Amino acid sequence: MTRELVVVGHGMVGHRLVADLRARDSTGSWHVTILCEEPSPAYNRARMSSFFDGKSGEDLSLVDAEFLADPLVDLRVGTPATQIDRAARTVTIADGRIGYDALVLATGSRPFLPPVPGGDLPGCFAYRTLEDLEAIKAAAVAGRPGVVIGGGLLGLEAADALRLLGMRPHIVELASHLMPTQLDGTGAALLASLVEPLGLRLHCGTATRAIEPGPDGRVSVVVLADGTAIPTDLVVFSAGVRPRDELAAPAGLTVAGRGGVLVDDRCRTNDPRIWAIGECAAVDGRCYALVSPGYRMAEVVVSQLLGVGTPRFPGADLSTTLKLLGVEVASFGDAHATTDGALVLTYADNGTYAKLVLDSEARTLLGGILAGDASAYPLLHSLIGHQLPASPDHLLARSAGVNQVLAGRL
Amino acid sequence: MSGILVIGAGPAAHRFVARLRQHGHRGPVTVIGAEARPPYNRMLVPSVLSGSLTPNCIALPDLDARLRLGTSATRIDRERREVHADDGAVYRYDTLVLATGARPADQGSRDGVTPLRTLADCALVTGRRILVLGGGILGMQAALALCRRGHDVSVVHRHAVLMNRLLDAEAGRILASRLQDLGIRVYLGRTAARYRTGGVTLDDCTTVLTDRVLLCTGAVPNVELARQCGLTVDDGVVVDTHLRTDDPDIHAVGDCAQHDDQPGHLSRAWDQADALAAFLTVGHAGYRAGGRVTRLTGPGIDIASVGIPAPSTVDSAVEVVALTDPARDRYARLTLRDGRIAGAVLVGLPEAIATISQLYDRGEPAPSDRLGLLLGGPVTPTGPVELSDDAVVCVCNNVTKITLVRAWRGGAETVNDLATSTRATTGCGTCTSVVQGICSTLSAERQGA
Repeated sequence: MTRELVVVGHGMVGHRLVADLRARDSTGSWHVTILCEEPSPAYNRARMSSFFDGKSGEDLSLVDAEFLADPLVDLRVGTPATQIDRAARTVTIADGRIGYDALVLATGSRPFLPPVPGGDLPGCFAYRTLEDLEAIKAAAVAGRPGVVIGGGLLGLEAADALRLLGMRPHIVELASHLMPTQLDGTGAALLASLVEPLGLRLHCGTATRAIEPGPDGRVSVVVLADGTAIPTDLVVFSAGVRPRDELAAPAGLTVAGRGGVLVDDRCRTNDPRIWAIGECAAVDGRCYALVSPGYRMAEVVVSQLLGVGTPRFPGADLSTTLKLLGVEVASFGDAHATTDGALVLTYADNGTYAKLVLDSEARTLLGGILAGDASAYPLLHSLIGHQLPASPDHLLARSAGVNQVLAGRL
Repeated sequence: MSGILVIGAGPAAHRFVARLRQHGHRGPVTVIGAEARPPYNRMLVPSVLSGSLTPNCIALPDLDARLRLGTSATRIDRERREVHADDGAVYRYDTLVLATGARPADQGSRDGVTPLRTLADCALVTGRRILVLGGGILGMQAALALCRRGHDVSVVHRHAVLMNRLLDAEAGRILASRLQDLGIRVYLGRTAARYRTGGVTLDDCTTVLTDRVLLCTGAVPNVELARQCGLTVDDGVVVDTHLRTDDPDIHAVGDCAQHDDQPGHLSRAWDQADALAAFLTVGHAGYRAGGRVTRLTGPGIDIASVGIPAPSTVDSAVEVVALTDPARDRYARLTLRDGRIAGAVLVGLPEAIATISQLYDRGEPAPSDRLGLLLGGPVTPTGPVELSDDAVVCVCNNVTKITLVRAWRGGAETVNDLATSTRATTGCGTCTSVVQGICSTLSAERQGA
């Protein structure tokens, strides 16, 4: 007998869950209804900036014809879920209700918009969806300044997008340096020295005090807490995300203290028929705004739906890399050396910075940061938790590329 | 023959005369020294202060020269090649060497305030509580010496970092915490604003109770004689690579001389004395300004500063390697230029201090295993490194190397095919170059087989 699975959200993680389930569900035991709020089905949000580099929305799409033609998948785009009735086991949409045997919430995140006066003026944008990107593209004026608020991974991506649109981007970051989650001060200083010559103007260690309109009522000036006034045509917010957990509480699902649908390490909510995965899920109270942990969660839930065991979420790998503006940055493992007794080894020259975090015996790699040249990242990432097979200098292969490192017998 | 006349009988003068004789100089040599005591190694004055050495232990060997101790030169007459002294005598010279040294920048002409430079100064350091003013190398040596002797010691340093000319902020921080562990109070970024009996008020109005203030606030070159007779004087007596003043018959060495490097270090005085002795006898060997190795040791303290600790400019030939080990208070910061040590700050790494000092002195290339160099560990092998089978190549999709290798052998021989069959590269795409590398390596391997 075919049972009904409803998946709320069709982002990268929601799509992965359905694709995995369909690939593994050889007997067709589940029919899946996907409720997709956005007008387009799932696309690769991790490569959105390529939208400004000649790629179309279709190029980024994760959905192929075979998936759309699958009789056991009912994909409804432009269809937000508005309510969950756990007693009746239904999800409410604009024109009715859909019953479920199992429900997976994969609603993702919404951009955090800091409460800045003027933050809702015309000319202010978020940087999250294809629609946001299209709006930014329409509003961009080549040769004019644009301000990105938030200097994290996404902020840099947004700044690069503005640059590709011919604008002169500024980045405003509250922390003392760029990418504070991933980088230390030295790595960020190197990153800054590499992106500034490309035309990015950086304003770190300062908050945005206000966004002021011009005579036409649109964004005109961004005023910083230090008094700097940046004339601008548009403002892009990339100051982090918040989990989309608004369906949970009204339905009696527990929400974590810091937001997100609370789930255990098997992604189960307090209702045995309902799971939450991806950025909306707070696994043991913690949300992960990266795609890789979301994929792990999807795998965990697919196994449970198919009754092939109840694997646990293995924990998140928060390693990240950035390659924008020709600049490479990577942060992996215990990049900030929070492990007791950890040693930190750093290398710097005028174009690269490498930081390796080692255990107290200087034998096992715990994590690190690479900036300027991240070619050693895949190798170093794979060595996290392992004894170093060679000296750090050699592993960093500072004069050789990754291919030499790979040249051993495979 | 009037021979060589040396004004000053400190370590630089002593070294110069000793080297002259070693080089076979037979002519007359006269040394005029203001201190009544025969030449001694001033570097070891802090050891006398601590009580670990007696004054006699630091005396330098007797010289084959006419010594006039307790005698100060009062005037140089370059025309007549004569030096007048306060003993009423006139000393003639063919070659004059100024080795007049330096004196404390602050002479401390107040009750309970003493500079530290000479052996005579040591005897004045009395009282239970002692405040050391100045956190340079001399101040640190004095503070550790006095702590060892059982005094209650405070250190006041105007800069935020102890030994700031020789160390960086991290090394200075570790040193300060070690001093505090020994019970020494450390006041950084502070100066003494007011002295009174029994205490000193700092510029932030803190009062430090003390019975005596020991001044270690640096030294100024003794240049009066040189200036008086018209030689070029800047901070010190200006000399060229042959330690010559602008009068070819007059040279200067040691703390009174100004070459284009930093004064105040005995090994520099020794190098200059050596160079001058060689120049005057065998006629070669110009003095080359170089960096030095400065080491500070004490209970739980082993710190070295090598060469120029922090480069002022960073260009493509410069590489900086740093090791921090907060749990064990070990720290190293190495600056390399073209693969050779240009400078280093080393804390708590005695083996590295020895090795790196030697590499620096000899100008030899540093080994490529920098971690091994710093930790004194074995040099790890440098053969080709391969990814282990369980290495995660695509982090987004959790695809391991072995998965890719199996898929390739299963017929997915391009990046696109591997993406379809394993999902590798379909997330953020960072791993594309590695997946490409695996494809090429496997193709090459098959063609080779």
